[in-house]
Amino acid sequence: MMAGSLSSCATIPVYKTTIANNKVSVPDTLFAQSDFQIIQPKDLYYNIGLRKEKDGSYTALLLRCTHADNQLTSTGNGFKCNLHGSEFNKEGQVTQGPAEHTLKKYPTEIVSNQIIIHIN
Amino acid sequence: MHKTFTLLLLCAFFSAKLSAQSKNLTSEDSLNNNLSKSATTIGGYGNAFYQHNSSQQTSKLDLERFVLFTGHKFNDKISVFTELEVEDAKVTGGESGGEVAIEQAYLKFNLNANQYIVAGLFLPRMGILNENHLPNTFNGNERNQVETVIIPSTWRELGVGLYGNLNNLPINYYAGIVNGLSSADFQHGSGIREGRFEGRNATGNNLAITAALQYFQNNFKFQVSGYYGGTIGVSKRKADSLGLSSGIFATPVAIGEADVQYAANGFSVKALGAIVSIPNASDINRAYANNTPKTEYGAYLEIGYDLLHTVKTAHDKQLILFVRDEKLNLNATIPSNGIIDGTLNQNYVVAGLTYLPIRNVAIKADVTLIHTGAQNPDLIINPNPVAQPYEPNYNLVNLGVAFSF
Repeated sequence: MMAGSLSSCATIPVYKTTIANNKVSVPDTLFAQSDFQIIQPKDLYYNIGLRKEKDGSYTALLLRCTHADNQLTSTGNGFKCNLHGSEFNKEGQVTQGPAEHTLKKYPTEIVSNQIIIHIN
Repeated sequence: MHKTFTLLLLCAFFSAKLSAQSKNLTSEDSLNNNLSKSATTIGGYGNAFYQHNSSQQTSKLDLERFVLFTGHKFNDKISVFTELEVEDAKVTGGESGGEVAIEQAYLKFNLNANQYIVAGLFLPRMGILNENHLPNTFNGNERNQVETVIIPSTWRELGVGLYGNLNNLPINYYAGIVNGLSSADFQHGSGIREGRFEGRNATGNNLAITAALQYFQNNFKFQVSGYYGGTIGVSKRKADSLGLSSGIFATPVAIGEADVQYAANGFSVKALGAIVSIPNASDINRAYANNTPKTEYGAYLEIGYDLLHTVKTAHDKQLILFVRDEKLNLNATIPSNGIIDGTLNQNYVVAGLTYLPIRNVAIKADVTLIHTGAQNPDLIINPNPVAQPYEPNYNLVNLGVAFSF
């Protein structure tokens, strides 16, 4: 059973939830107004950026810098690490070093109006 | 007796096994299995450049910095970060020049996905360069002067800092408490820079608080930051004998800074302003005779454009044409017992190219035009009969390479 609550905000929508069996479940109704959500699973020390693609699929990015594992800040058009200045675009690609690798991407699937993120 | 002992052993074995199994079933530990394996990271940066000085008619080549970064993540909650720096390539006993220093060494405790605490030797969030100073991420071979002397980057002190970002807004915040400065070590011409302890036997009688706010809006990043700290770390008895007030925030230094950065469509703009206030500068001068000013300020504006932005085939390559205008005054106001020095009223115009064949490697060429105010003859105590007259206008030509990984 996934427990979730929507923290409303016009700027960065955040959805708090939990993890069960290495899965995070997110209702797809959250994407009625926006194509991007920050997912905040309990006990995970990094947020997940969940984006709805034009073809209806979803991309889940772990917001952990690939240089030194620092948490990333969502800037509206990408993600920034304050530790050494690395930057990533919305797709998770590096736009500013020292990070050299794209953000970790989790597989997703849609089951009964729920977006399932597989944390593995 | 023997049966009882065997039974106890079996109970202990199964109890331990069950405990381990139930532990593996928690979501956090499941996550840790996937995310939190301990890991050691090695990184670093460095830069070397050639510089010709038109005034002195000298040229030099220097491996200015080589820094080795090592980080270790014990688990998802606790990490350690360190940076070991060597300046000017070599340090030899009995000779001036060069420096070996620990630039950072702190533990990082993640509280949750949005907040963490650092403890140890760390870089307070002040300005742009202090926190993000990788040489391939700024234009020009040399760091900008405003963030070298007004904000004395790379400024690290011992203490504790809280970093975080708001959940629903693109706002980052930072607050920290660190050891204070030593006004006894302030030097004429370098602002507060020589008053830093940088982790070596810092005084604990005086402390400083620092804080910053950042706001992100698409292609813009805004920041304000501040510092307020005492500069008298000696004992009360010694401070009294020097006529100085003592205490945690006695004889304070206050710094305010604001900056904005913009980057889009090949254009990049940085603007920063900072002001330093030392209201009791006259007390410092009376005690230490180091001509400490009451106020210093500095500001710069830099505009860059990536000439390969529209023609690039390989996304990584950049050729940035830039110009930066810097204005700073290290003795904007002086106390009654200070001596004004026009050479500390300075203007730097830096223009050049930064070529990045890949993001983490830069080849740089720039020219720096320097203009200062006139020299004050009252400050020349023992004039050198063969000294060249002071030149308030001169330029530097710099060619260099830089990298980070």
